Amino acid sequence: MKEVKLFLGPQHPGMHGNYSAHMYVEGDMINKSYALPGMLHRGFEKLMERRHWMGNLALIPRICVIEPDPNEMVYAMSIEKLAGIEVPERAHWIRMIILELARLAANLMAIGGIGAPVGLYTSVYWGVADRDLVLDIFEKITGARVYHMYIVPGGVRKDLPEGIEEEILGLLDYIEARLPEFYDLVMRSPIFQTRTRDNILLPEEVVWELGVTGIGMRSAVNKEYDIRKVKPYARYDQVAFSLPYGPYSDAFTRVDFKYVEMAQSISIIRQSIEKMPKEGPVRARIATGSALRWRVPPGMVYSCVESARGEYGYLVVSDGREMPYRIAVRGSSYPQGLLGVEKYLPGHRIDDASLWMDTMGVCAPEIDR
Amino acid sequence: MNSMNKLVEELKGRFTLLEVLLPDQQQLIVDIDQMHLHALLSHLKATGFRQLSLLTAVDWIEENTFQLVYIVFNWDTGIHVLVRTKLPRDKAVFRTITGIYPGAQYYERDVHEFFGVAFEGNVMSFKPLFLELWDELPPMRKDFDPEAYSREKFPERPYVPQFVPKVEVVE
Repeated sequence: MKEVKLFLGPQHPGMHGNYSAHMYVEGDMINKSYALPGMLHRGFEKLMERRHWMGNLALIPRICVIEPDPNEMVYAMSIEKLAGIEVPERAHWIRMIILELARLAANLMAIGGIGAPVGLYTSVYWGVADRDLVLDIFEKITGARVYHMYIVPGGVRKDLPEGIEEEILGLLDYIEARLPEFYDLVMRSPIFQTRTRDNILLPEEVVWELGVTGIGMRSAVNKEYDIRKVKPYARYDQVAFSLPYGPYSDAFTRVDFKYVEMAQSISIIRQSIEKMPKEGPVRARIATGSALRWRVPPGMVYSCVESARGEYGYLVVSDGREMPYRIAVRGSSYPQGLLGVEKYLPGHRIDDASLWMDTMGVCAPEIDR
Repeated sequence: MNSMNKLVEELKGRFTLLEVLLPDQQQLIVDIDQMHLHALLSHLKATGFRQLSLLTAVDWIEENTFQLVYIVFNWDTGIHVLVRTKLPRDKAVFRTITGIYPGAQYYERDVHEFFGVAFEGNVMSFKPLFLELWDELPPMRKDFDPEAYSREKFPERPYVPQFVPKVEVVE
């Protein structure tokens, strides 16, 4: 049969963002493929070198649309380490609530989004509609739905609004009640089972070869490898949670793990609301005078958190001036989005290429940063 | 902290490290010369640092050097090691580490595109990745001025209010 070149994306319902995979196909088998990023390149790393430390707060959440909060967190953590800032206790807990709500929103989007490549469109509407309720809470806390600019160096931008705890708990009860319905709709669906079971395998060797982290890694190496467990930040060491892990990673397992992790996020938020100090400062004073003249002591530090898709980190370099000297972004999906597409997509069918993108959590803007 | 002390002692005993820094309880920065970087990375990989988290570069233009930063991670101890080495800016050529960490392939391509550092042994790294038809200095270098570039590349055009042609509506 004749080999044909086929473009998956950038405009394709199964593709994540402005990103493209060029595939050489024979029939419906992929013989060769490579990723073609660059359609979304906005030069974040260069822009950050030309903005003040504070000015960058408006820029960093935009590096990943689905999950902007880990960006804010790693940036704040890096500056706090370099400048030796002590974050108030209440701010740590608020940060955890925000990060877990963000993880919940990202996982809802992912479980809903899996409907597009498998042809189960109801889940897309359900996932997006329920994620919107999380965004409503974000709007009440931060004033913004998607890009919050809420976690700032020294703590959080402002305190929680009055009575938001009850609203969050109400939302968690609602999502918890919805989870079995999602299970019935997605995980037990014959279409979904047929398409994802024993498909898009990720063996342990490939995890180490590429550098895949997050759910992909935990489902393949059979260990609870999560930054929240291995090197806890904020107050993750003071809450009880357990993450799913296993030795066999196919597309089904990875989606199933996302489903299980949603329940864990709900539990972490509940514990945080219960354990957090009910009052107190939420932001440490980082400097006197104008933020435009604020300087960070020289140094280099790498900070990372566990995003919904894996290790997310920033390498921050300061030379003691008003602007960062260099910031490098470690996007969680960089390995599987580039080298993974090139080495491990061949051998699969055309219609399963989107499943790779989806269950591996490929996010184009964090690759094209 | 014990595992960190042990690691520092072990690395100091085995390699000639130019500088050792501890920015954080679970983070270690080591500077090493170019000749011994591969040996150090192989040793780290064999002792549990199985993941390459990031490979990037920093342009220290005043010193006329590029600093390559390799960040490796040990999932069992939660320790990140930042291995750094410096290259002269005018002879920015280094050897690939894809034999040790295969995942470095695209990071090296990335660094080559944005800083102009060539990685011998990684043929793929010479191909463009993000920037299509780029014809200027590698953009992450400090001597590249993005403002001047965009002024030259996209010259200002006079504002023309009537750019939408008027359409006469026929009743």
